[in-house]
Amino acid sequence: MSYYLGVDIGSVSSNFVLVDEAANVVGKIYMRTEGNPVKAVKEGYKQVMEGIDDEQIIGVGTTGSGRHLADIILGADVVKNEITAHAVAASSFYPDVRTIIEIGGQDSKMIILQDAIVSDFAMNTVCAAGTGSFLDQQASRLNILIQDFGPTALKSKQAVRIAGRCGVFAESDMIHKQQMGYPIEDILMGLCEALVRNYLNNVGKGKKIETPVIFQGGVAANAGLKKAFEKILQMEIKVPPYYDVMGALGAAILAREYIEQYRRATVFKGDSFIIDGQFHSRSFECKGCPNMCEVVCIKRDQEVLAYWGDRCKTWETSIGHQEVI
Amino acid sequence: MKKIGIPRGLFYYYYYPLYKTFFTDLGARAILSSPTTRITVDRGIDAAVDETCFPIKVYFGHVKELCKYELDYLFVPRLVSIENRSYICPKFMGVPDMIRASFTSLPPLIDITVDLSRSDRDFKDQVLKTGRLFTKKSSRIQDAYEHGKQELEYCKHIASQGYTMAEAINIWEGQDIRQQRDGSLRIGVLGHGYSLYDEAISMNIIGRLREMGCTVVLPESLSLEQVEQEAASMPKRIFWTLGRKMVGSALKMEKMPDIDGIIYVACFGCGPDSFIGEIIERKVNDKAYMLIVIDEHTGEGGLVTRLEAFCDMLKRRRRQQVEDHISAYG
Repeated sequence: MSYYLGVDIGSVSSNFVLVDEAANVVGKIYMRTEGNPVKAVKEGYKQVMEGIDDEQIIGVGTTGSGRHLADIILGADVVKNEITAHAVAASSFYPDVRTIIEIGGQDSKMIILQDAIVSDFAMNTVCAAGTGSFLDQQASRLNILIQDFGPTALKSKQAVRIAGRCGVFAESDMIHKQQMGYPIEDILMGLCEALVRNYLNNVGKGKKIETPVIFQGGVAANAGLKKAFEKILQMEIKVPPYYDVMGALGAAILAREYIEQYRRATVFKGDSFIIDGQFHSRSFECKGCPNMCEVVCIKRDQEVLAYWGDRCKTWETSIGHQEVI
Repeated sequence: MKKIGIPRGLFYYYYYPLYKTFFTDLGARAILSSPTTRITVDRGIDAAVDETCFPIKVYFGHVKELCKYELDYLFVPRLVSIENRSYICPKFMGVPDMIRASFTSLPPLIDITVDLSRSDRDFKDQVLKTGRLFTKKSSRIQDAYEHGKQELEYCKHIASQGYTMAEAINIWEGQDIRQQRDGSLRIGVLGHGYSLYDEAISMNIIGRLREMGCTVVLPESLSLEQVEQEAASMPKRIFWTLGRKMVGSALKMEKMPDIDGIIYVACFGCGPDSFIGEIIERKVNDKAYMLIVIDEHTGEGGLVTRLEAFCDMLKRRRRQQVEDHISAYG
């Protein structure tokens, strides 16, 4: 059997998906990035490859904010942005999908499709309020596990009204409500509704939301949010089976498309490179000019694999590495 | 020879050839601050009032740099209005005052008021007042001003061929900048010149799009009459000069069949932009449109992701249009 590997290195979670030649999912790993994407790539790779020989991998795709990093460590045939990857994955399950709601750790996106082609999209602007990390933070403040967030919220009969304009306001509003004695499930459901309102105002503003609507990304695990979306939009919301790894799945599908279309051999680096080597990253301030770019250097043992972050590209091009776009 | 410092920020991107020619013709030397770097940004954030917009903070950084040189004057005009019945953002009115309040040792400021909202009579006095710092002859001042305007027109002509105003100014100064080949996508990029054309402020958004194989179409390449005509279709006249230009340019670009999509680059703290970006989003329905909000951040990941996704979308859409075309007529 031959497989394609899709990897999505996000700010909060790192996801790995293996698909077979017919694009069926045969393995998936969802894990926390924990601020260390280099380690996450290696760990996740080891886990998803359990029982599989590296020679069986015939194509690799990476996506997510750490896609270039993952490309350096794994050797990727396709390096794609998250929007395209999510859209490709969703339309592989639901070819007639019109709207994708994707809420991840730091980003939230809305993707509008027509005939399986992205026709419009929006991402949250500078502010990361209302994304997964905010929910995480609030859950830990209320001392409940993030896994229990959704089920607890669903118990609510009457959601509390919480200001959703801004994460900081929402938090202070929540603390006040909590101190006034509102039950926790009503506060959680209120938070879900506040997030949905914020999302629709901020990301979905002016967009026409049509069914079928797909809700994916790590936050789609939260049943409270799904219910809040359904209540506010008055629409049925579907959560796909691999909702938490859709980015990685999209990357795998894109890798498959690419390899089949161009009949290329994969540039995948294999076990000996990935597992045996020690990868380090360090950053330094370039003193070459007053721009003082923060350059990142990725090393495998003593060998420098890549530099990036310099505006003039002096470092980046110094080792013949080309950024894949 | 008297030395006049000119900060490389704000309306530098719209008027520098005029400023420089005017002062040079009057026998003075224009000293320009260097292109924006992180040091400029840090200095600006340090010196400026917290609630101003990012481009003004950067301008402060340039002023700070110029303070190091022994200057006879620092040229920081107070821009109120540059055309009839239209205004520049109110924050700009206070720039000379904010500079005076924020810096301790400044060279004498030339902070003439430019207010053409009603008539140009006062403005002419202001030009004469400035010129008299260097010569007594009114005719010489008048000539220098007219010459400056000519040079500015020439520079705008360069920009109309597809260069940013920053590039056009460099070409006007004698640099050789080669135009890139036509890209596969044509993207209209709008924004206030002082944020869009400053590579540090805009995180080089234009350069990045070009690297991704796009041809960038800028408002400077459109005919002013057509832009004004489009802007006049709004139910109420927009009285911000730049805002009106942006709305008019966006509506014009929407009608240009060779443009694939439009990107608007706004600054987080910009009052007018919070309206204008929104107005354009509502009015432009026939073309892909993306609003990018920038501020102090230097993490480029978010910007790159958005640009890539936007280009991907346009490419896939275009491919589909081609396929539709073939199936319909083949």
